Amino acid sequence: EAEPAAGIHHQQLHPLEYAWKFWFDNPSLKSKQTAWGASIRPVHTFSTVEDFWSLYNNIHHPSKLVVGADLYCFKDTIEPKWEDPVCQNGGNWTINCPRGKSDTMWLYTLLAMIGEQFDNGDEICGAVVNVRGKQERISIWTKNAANEATQLSIGKQWKEMLDYNEQIGFIFHDDAKKLGRSVKSKYTI
Amino acid sequence: HADESSGRKSYSRDFLLTFAEQCTYLPVGFEIGSDIADALMSVPVGTAHVFDREPY
Repeated sequence: EAEPAAGIHHQQLHPLEYAWKFWFDNPSLKSKQTAWGASIRPVHTFSTVEDFWSLYNNIHHPSKLVVGADLYCFKDTIEPKWEDPVCQNGGNWTINCPRGKSDTMWLYTLLAMIGEQFDNGDEICGAVVNVRGKQERISIWTKNAANEATQLSIGKQWKEMLDYNEQIGFIFHDDAKKLGRSVKSKYTI
Repeated sequence: HADESSGRKSYSRDFLLTFAEQCTYLPVGFEIGSDIADALMSVPVGTAHVFDREPY
């Protein structure tokens, strides 16, 4: 019997610095839950370049996700929740796009994270795309919101990577928890 | 392509993109809950192992 293709392939896999996990929040489940975060589901963990593409090529890109969906890609050991011990003192940068226009920025964000292209990559928890009726929002979550220099470095690099020229804001999770929709950005770049 | 100086496994976007076309099959061991499969997967879910999740 011939050697399975997977066996040969295995030797050529390209390991990533971190293992990452996709998570998905399906709006049809969200509506049945009362507690925030109760409907979020882990999808799959990957730790090689090849497994990233195997997943990415088989799941919807943001423009094809239903309105209300949230797709997360976080370091494997970190839950995409404000209460996660690594996230609780953190915050996030956010880029807004018109509905259907975030696919390339989402992909470039993922590639920059998993390929360790950020100088402060250790400070990054993960990224999420929120699909809404009129817009898609991409956010990068970081660990130590109070460390302004680190956040500004990450925000600046992110904009350069995406060739994004409009101003973006950084929100502390703590503020978002207390203030909800009226939360203001602590840093802008 | 690992960055020898820092010891970090870093890969440029262009390098990562060269793998995009070769990795089309779902990862080995992939399985997905029936409660998210249809909304998330872009391929027919019959190709993946779908399991029924216990209601919470």
